[in-house]
Amino acid sequence: MAVEYASRAEVRSRRREAADVASFVRRLDWLLVGAVAALVGYGLWAIRGITQHDVTGNTDYYLVRQSLFVGAGLVCLVAAVIIDPAWYRRHWRVIYGGTAAVILLVLLEGSVTRGSSRWLDFGPFRFQPSEFGKVFFVLALAGFLAERTKRLADRRTTLSAIGLAAVPTFLVFVQPDIGTAMVYVAALAAILFVAGVRWTHLAILGALAVLVATTVLWVAPAAGVHILRPYQVQRLTGFFNPNSDPGGATYNIVQSKNAIGAGQLRGRGIAGATQTTLHFLPEHHTDFVFASLAEERGFVGASILLGLYLLVVWRGMRIVTLARDPFSAIVAGGLVFALLFQIFVNVGMTMGIAPITGIPLPFLSVGGSAMIANLVGVGILLSIHARSRVRR
Amino acid sequence: MARRILGGRFLAPDPRTEEPYRLTPALALRVGMLGMLALAVFAVLFLRLWALQVLSGAQYLRAAQNNQLRTVRVPAPRGPILDRYGRTLVTNVAGTEVQIWPSDLPKRRPERVRELRALAQVMHVPLSQIAAAIRKHRNDPLTPARIKTGATELQVGYLKERQEDFPGVVIANTYLRAYPHGSLAAHILGYVTEISAQQLKALKNDGYHAGDEIGQTGVEASYDKFLRGTPGVAKLVVDSLGRPRTNLRPSTLPHPGNALRLTIDVKLQQAAERALQIGMEDARASTCYGCWNANGGAVVALDPRDGSIRALASWPTYRPSLYVGRIRQRALEAAGLTGTTAREQNYPALDRAIDAAYPPGSTWKPVTALAAMEEGILTPYSDLQCTGSYTVAGHTFNNWDPNANAWMNLPTALAASCDTYFYQVGYRFYGMPADRGPRLQAWASRFGFGAHTGIDVGPEQTGLLPTPDWRRATYTKKSDPNGWQVDRLWKPGDSIQLAIGQKDLLVTPMQMARFYALIANGGRLVAPHLLEDVEQPASNGRRGRTLPTSPAPAPEPTNVDAGALEVVRQGLLAATHSSYGTSVGVFGGFPVPIAGKTGTAEKVLDPGDGYPRLFDQSWWCGYGPADDPTLVVCALIENGGHGGTAAAPAALHVFEQFFGKQATQTGPVHSD
Repeated sequence: MAVEYASRAEVRSRRREAADVASFVRRLDWLLVGAVAALVGYGLWAIRGITQHDVTGNTDYYLVRQSLFVGAGLVCLVAAVIIDPAWYRRHWRVIYGGTAAVILLVLLEGSVTRGSSRWLDFGPFRFQPSEFGKVFFVLALAGFLAERTKRLADRRTTLSAIGLAAVPTFLVFVQPDIGTAMVYVAALAAILFVAGVRWTHLAILGALAVLVATTVLWVAPAAGVHILRPYQVQRLTGFFNPNSDPGGATYNIVQSKNAIGAGQLRGRGIAGATQTTLHFLPEHHTDFVFASLAEERGFVGASILLGLYLLVVWRGMRIVTLARDPFSAIVAGGLVFALLFQIFVNVGMTMGIAPITGIPLPFLSVGGSAMIANLVGVGILLSIHARSRVRR
Repeated sequence: MARRILGGRFLAPDPRTEEPYRLTPALALRVGMLGMLALAVFAVLFLRLWALQVLSGAQYLRAAQNNQLRTVRVPAPRGPILDRYGRTLVTNVAGTEVQIWPSDLPKRRPERVRELRALAQVMHVPLSQIAAAIRKHRNDPLTPARIKTGATELQVGYLKERQEDFPGVVIANTYLRAYPHGSLAAHILGYVTEISAQQLKALKNDGYHAGDEIGQTGVEASYDKFLRGTPGVAKLVVDSLGRPRTNLRPSTLPHPGNALRLTIDVKLQQAAERALQIGMEDARASTCYGCWNANGGAVVALDPRDGSIRALASWPTYRPSLYVGRIRQRALEAAGLTGTTAREQNYPALDRAIDAAYPPGSTWKPVTALAAMEEGILTPYSDLQCTGSYTVAGHTFNNWDPNANAWMNLPTALAASCDTYFYQVGYRFYGMPADRGPRLQAWASRFGFGAHTGIDVGPEQTGLLPTPDWRRATYTKKSDPNGWQVDRLWKPGDSIQLAIGQKDLLVTPMQMARFYALIANGGRLVAPHLLEDVEQPASNGRRGRTLPTSPAPAPEPTNVDAGALEVVRQGLLAATHSSYGTSVGVFGGFPVPIAGKTGTAEKVLDPGDGYPRLFDQSWWCGYGPADDPTLVVCALIENGGHGGTAAAPAALHVFEQFFGKQATQTGPVHSD
């Protein structure tokens, strides 16, 4: 049997590769990694307390589930770190088409829960493509704009980008999932903004958005045209007048504010958080998880969470400035702003300063698709950072 | 390897050579603006959080606490009802009740209907009844709608396991009325149901609320204010589906209802009800005409000294427990307690002792005798001839014994119950000057006839004491178009028949018992009553005590002549002890001397075959011991034939129980 020896070149190549890997690992944004790890850990700890009384006989049902999602998400995160962002830029068309197709598939085949079809079933797990869409959609649009960095001032570029964005946004909107559609719009705005679309275009778009919103929410219903269903309008506008219908549309908001306020400075603990344990607070492990956290852990606990979010957002913003190319910068800007938007709308909703939409709280709400998608987003940010221009 | 996968771009190449991209000032500005926005967002969130949790946290904490607290009324256990010796007649048992808090039902109609339909199926309660119960409680958030009382363990277990599917459905503990003696004294005790809408309207100011239990008949109704107690108020932690999560925390303790002690003696009451069966069996076993139809009756036993009722039986009867919990209409129908089926079952809810009037027949003769002596138209010891019939103004009135032919004084006439003797007395009343008014009726009225006895349960009939005025008012051209000119006149026959307690006269057994008590106690008219006293139970650290209640009115003197009474008493004693007495065969062998009078009253009845005809109502009224009476018994057996056939043996049974002695012999009786 012949013994094979590695050639000198091969050995050198391997050594270099090992050195490359070590250097790459060193160049990750470890503060972001730490912040996200803390956030995920804190989220699991919070979920454990919040869902203790939800499933009789299995206090850790949601904790175990969520931990599995985190595990899956971490695998995806590592993959996202390894993949070079340029790969997305080259294949943005595939990403775009695939995402739109899957969302369309959901609309046609997805399972219906509470009147909306958002999910595809995979055995015991349900897969919500629109959550992954938040990431892939940013990648695709960034890819589109990165190809046109020279023609960004052109009106057509802006309009094409909006047209591209409109398709998946509309598909999500008719599921109906207004919250996610709003996240898409916010991400689009951030992408156009970071990509460098002209101020005048941005101003016109902003004015248009305000016009559309007022038309849909107030003018059209007053004129008898219902673009949104009445309950949707009520949910979107209810936070202006929270006590208008405490038994109906604004019940959630009243209970949510009671829960948060009752938490006071130090929180009521798991056993004392009656709003959560007695189910006065609906959806307290998903959409209203922040209110439950605030009730159980008080201002201190909620502030720790917001502080961790701030840390993540800050690191994300920093990555935008460090990105090695326009594509990376746009992707980072879109991801970070989408994250910021979700945090604001969800937390603001629970405190009565934002409309009620079904947006989960990143890294906290129980839900596999959102958790995995958010971790993938972080992975992409880390990947951009590791390949950034400036060494740390 | 990694290189191959990543297309040789694992590491970022030197940016200065491959990617001439710089952080432009424009991008820096925009990222800076995004950063400011992010800071602003977090500032808003922090401030809002601070405002909610720290600045106004206390207020939200209160709201959250109120959220889970529900104020409920805690029912007070209803007072027990005891007999005169403290033996239980009615008590409470703990029961489970399925309730609905309408506000916790699903808000959407299809879900609500689905839940209620499932509940109806589990509880075997028609959906329409559940809906009606919920509708009734629409304006009362403090009390839940009662769906079923006395749910089975299986049903309770099912609901408890599936609480998620039944928001707003609560299983609560309640008190249920329990009747250890079954149907015993049902007419006295009465029954309890949830307050009706009309009652609530009328009693709202007396502290009654929707969902309260209220006595409907008997002492449960007349002494409801003592029995009901005061409900307490408690707080309860509930979850968002209205399911209780803690035990009740009372803020005001309920005060249990007071115990009602009745003058009834359970043993005597049982004897009285048995006596009715004995009387009816005797009647049915006899050969008398129409006695096959002996299917009802009443027994009154009271203390002639103060009017306290020792037993009050009426047949047919019913089980008050039919009204416990959720009332099943079908059970009520089967028991004859609804309007449509009452007749088939011969009106079991009717208290024949006070709420049914019968012609008294010969038991009335002492009234005639006393009135005649008082009016001076009869000298007790001068004889009148007792014949087989008596003819006046072309009308012939028959004696019950067509072969009678003897001269009799008053005691003998009473003992032998000679009709023709009293026909003559009646005709003398007819012959009295019209300007003095109807004197027999005047005396009868003084003895309590034609009016309520004032017994403390209801409803009560007055009976009918016919007078010339009544005749004139009753028979008018309108009511009697064919014969009103004749019928409106008071004729000799009216007086003659009234003298032996026939024709239009109607009395209740209670009125009769009260009159015999008057004979027994020397002329005083007692107020019959059931309430002995009201006892407040020991609770919340207070000791039990007897509550002050207005005592029953003292017997009223009627100023009837003592000598006249003595004559009647002689006659009544002779009736049970002399050879010619009408109930000597029943009471002659009883060790305690009993005095009393049989009665056989003819009443037109339709026995159910569509041919109304005369049936004999069997009466016996009397008292014992004859020299110092402690008990008056009045027994009536509907369609029981002669007084000695059915009523006298029934009354004897009550005396046997009362005195604890057995009659040595009872034989067939020749009587009216």
